[in-house]
Amino acid sequence: MKKLEDWLTWALSPSISAILVTLIFSLTLPILIHTYLYKRAVAKELPTFLLLGPSGAGKTSLLTLLANGTPSPTHTSQAPQTAICQLPSTTRSSEDKYRSENDTSSRSQPSIQLLDTPGHGKLRHHAISSLTFPTALKGLLFVVDSAVLSSAAGLTETAEFLYDVLLLLQKRHTQGKTSKTPLAIPVLLVANKQDVFTSLPAGLVKSKLEEELGKVRQTRSKGLLDSGIGMDDDGEADEESSWLGEYGANGFKFAQMREHGVDLEVVGTSTSGEGEGEGEGRGHECWSWIGANV
Amino acid sequence: MLDGFEILTTSGIVLWRRHYTPISSNLIDSLVRDVFIEEKQKPGGGENGAPSYKKDRYTLRWTSAKDVGLVFVAVYQSLLHLSWIESLLTAVKGLFTKAYGQELKTPHTLKVNTAQWDPTFDALVNRLDTGSTRRQSDTIDSEGPTELTPPSSSAGDDADEPPPVPAPLFRKPAIPTKRDDVVGDSTSTDATPIPTPDTSRPATPGHAASHLLTAKGGPGKASRRSRKAQTFNASAPVSSGDESSAGRNLKGGAKTAAKGKRRWDVDGMAIEGDDDGVLDYSASATPGPENAERELDVADVNTSQMGSRTGKGQFVLKDLDDEVDAILASSSKPQQQSNATDDSTGSGLLASASSRLTSLFRNVVGGKTLTKADLQLPLQQMQTHLLSKNVAPEAATRLCQAVETDLLDQKTANYTSIESTIRDSMTKALTRMLTPTSSLDLLREVTSVTSGQGALARPYVISIVGVNGVGKSTNLSKIAFFLLQNHFRVLVVAGDTFRSGAVEQLRVHVRNLSALSQREGVGKVELFEKGYGKDAATVARDAVAFATNKGTQAPGGSGQMLYDVVLIDTAGRRHNDSRLMSSLTKFGQLANPDKVFMVGEALVGTDSVAQARNFAKEFVDTKGKLRNNGVGMDGFIISKCDTVGDMVGTLVSMVHATGIPVVFLGVGQHYGDLRGLNVGWAVDKLMK
Repeated sequence: MKKLEDWLTWALSPSISAILVTLIFSLTLPILIHTYLYKRAVAKELPTFLLLGPSGAGKTSLLTLLANGTPSPTHTSQAPQTAICQLPSTTRSSEDKYRSENDTSSRSQPSIQLLDTPGHGKLRHHAISSLTFPTALKGLLFVVDSAVLSSAAGLTETAEFLYDVLLLLQKRHTQGKTSKTPLAIPVLLVANKQDVFTSLPAGLVKSKLEEELGKVRQTRSKGLLDSGIGMDDDGEADEESSWLGEYGANGFKFAQMREHGVDLEVVGTSTSGEGEGEGEGRGHECWSWIGANV
Repeated sequence: MLDGFEILTTSGIVLWRRHYTPISSNLIDSLVRDVFIEEKQKPGGGENGAPSYKKDRYTLRWTSAKDVGLVFVAVYQSLLHLSWIESLLTAVKGLFTKAYGQELKTPHTLKVNTAQWDPTFDALVNRLDTGSTRRQSDTIDSEGPTELTPPSSSAGDDADEPPPVPAPLFRKPAIPTKRDDVVGDSTSTDATPIPTPDTSRPATPGHAASHLLTAKGGPGKASRRSRKAQTFNASAPVSSGDESSAGRNLKGGAKTAAKGKRRWDVDGMAIEGDDDGVLDYSASATPGPENAERELDVADVNTSQMGSRTGKGQFVLKDLDDEVDAILASSSKPQQQSNATDDSTGSGLLASASSRLTSLFRNVVGGKTLTKADLQLPLQQMQTHLLSKNVAPEAATRLCQAVETDLLDQKTANYTSIESTIRDSMTKALTRMLTPTSSLDLLREVTSVTSGQGALARPYVISIVGVNGVGKSTNLSKIAFFLLQNHFRVLVVAGDTFRSGAVEQLRVHVRNLSALSQREGVGKVELFEKGYGKDAATVARDAVAFATNKGTQAPGGSGQMLYDVVLIDTAGRRHNDSRLMSSLTKFGQLANPDKVFMVGEALVGTDSVAQARNFAKEFVDTKGKLRNNGVGMDGFIISKCDTVGDMVGTLVSMVHATGIPVVFLGVGQHYGDLRGLNVGWAVDKLMK
């Protein structure tokens, strides 16, 4: 008891040592707390790429190809699946854009997270919610089956899904609540199954989809109102906001999406065909795009 | 015979597969789609928890392990009836989960190393396969004797020694032993020492017996079989239920046992006469201790042989036997849940109060693992809530069941209570049920059909059906209005030839619509009617022919399509009146509509389920298959939604009953009061 009293007297007295101790204590304690909290809380988010597309396009197959190097046999997915993989050594990432060829210093390839979602109509909410969820989504791979696009039904289904996705991205860009626009998400249209005999080449896939998207946006604008109109108090549904691309333009082109920050590229690939090119594995087109956008 | 077996994850990746014959991957894709995603099949159907799904002459049985997210599927031809598949599925599930469960629980695993699994699976199949339709890797013709082997663990024997040497020797006694069976024994007919009851036989020829004894080349085989056969002796003959085994004449033989046993000799001629002679070549003609000793002896030798000869594989098999037995035994025993003792572990007031407090605390804080008892009361409340929203009890039960299976043994997230977890899960289940597989875009479909190249262009035919007074004519005019606004030419057909005033009603509607459309300069609408009393199907067919206008009156130019869309109204009918309902089938076949919409009113209660089902099953085409991929109709129009406010449960009931999506909602009595379905809005209203 007496010792405590003595100590308290010393601590509250204006002696140099007491002041020094207090100073050191008050300066280091916040720093310690900060480092402790930040060490625990920091979970470095890997850049995520989302795989989506109509059912049967080959998304899960592409996921296994990119993650393992060889595709595994797959069936219709019921649940989303994530995989962590590293950029292969042959691909350059965007960080290494300006690195010289002769630079031999070691560089570690960045690892990315791939998120595969089911394509069935009833399970598309996984894909849509991953789009709107604000994680470090760096890019979107929209996988289509190039062979099924030659039939009207397949083309319609693909186009409708692509329309929904692009509209969502456009709305996200134009209707942000703050003045700072969210980071633009680039889109890669992967025309899969190029090894099938009846598949359309990548350029034709692009033009067919553009044409079909034009038709879809036409009918959607004239279609029935939703039963949910009037539910949210955003005011009347602006016709311009639900029109994909350039308002009032005749046909739809993917270039029109660029003003809304959606950069769309088309590549053709095949998960089950033989790898073309020497030194390049299968799926190298996807890797180069991923590398450029990481 | 099993055609294939696959183990896949819920995200679609195949971890392991074994195909005995080529199977298209389309089969399992359609299983996943129809059963797991679209839930077209009622769950729980099927014996012993391995439900079955049939497609294309194949039957698929499956089981799933929810905790690791795996599905195990066995494929075989529908003609066979393999009773051992359930035990195979259970055993595979248990063993695979045990072997690879840990690996699969780590996130981001896309594949597992299944090299060790192949021999385990082979051993399992050999063990569980009851033998009559077993694939024989060796060349023994399994025609006669081996077919009727009782389900025994002769797997070990088969695995290590395919004995080609005794095979020809086996053939010889095949025929005489068939007569054995005729005499009245049950299961095993090979040269096994079964003491037959009426042994009025002379002693077996010495030479026959001796060479038979050597013929039992796999001595352990016969002895084990004999022991099993003796235990099965009392049971009914051949209860394995295999229908396709070739050598079934024995069963026929057994049947004639009562009549007077016919015997056949080597040349296939019937032998009349006395039932004596060389019949029983089995060694039990001299039964006795030396035989038993020999059996024991032989068994001993056999096991050690098994152990040493084939090494690691067989040792796995030994352990496998015990494990598999344990798994099968535990799965067949009824689950005894002793959750009664959970809460009242301590005795007395204090213990129960403190346990209640901790459970309350856990409920608020989260992180609680949900048990059946936990979920029971909140699910009851949720079910009552759904019932109060006018959802049919059948649908409410099914939804609560789905939520329960989803949430059982899951942990609640941080700071969420059980109620909110259940709400989340129910919202997801409702969204999934109400979301259509592919959304209907009526304008696109009409455009694509009417603009088909040249000769293929034809009008788009839509017909509306429903019970009395739900709003068919009103909603039909709303659809006509919508189509007119989009510049289509519409023909309205008065297919209700029964109710007084039906044709006049439609005439008034058409007059209003044409006035509206002329004012705006869009579209063209006309009424096609044939008065009262005619058959609605023929009226419809004539109307479609009129609209198509194929080359009949053609001054200049070929018969151009007169109308783009044909809307056919039908008479209201009670769904339990079979005569009226059957006339719908004829209507569907004659009119051949592109779309059949059924109108249901939002005010109807539990009758909606029966209505939807009865109407859906009437629309079969001439081959007897339901149209639209086996569901019958193409969509529901739920009318009078403005009158019910929040209680839009009819949507759920009708979709639950048939799996057909809701396409339109009627929200008023004017021409513009037609809306598409927004699933989020509907689920919000239901969960409010």
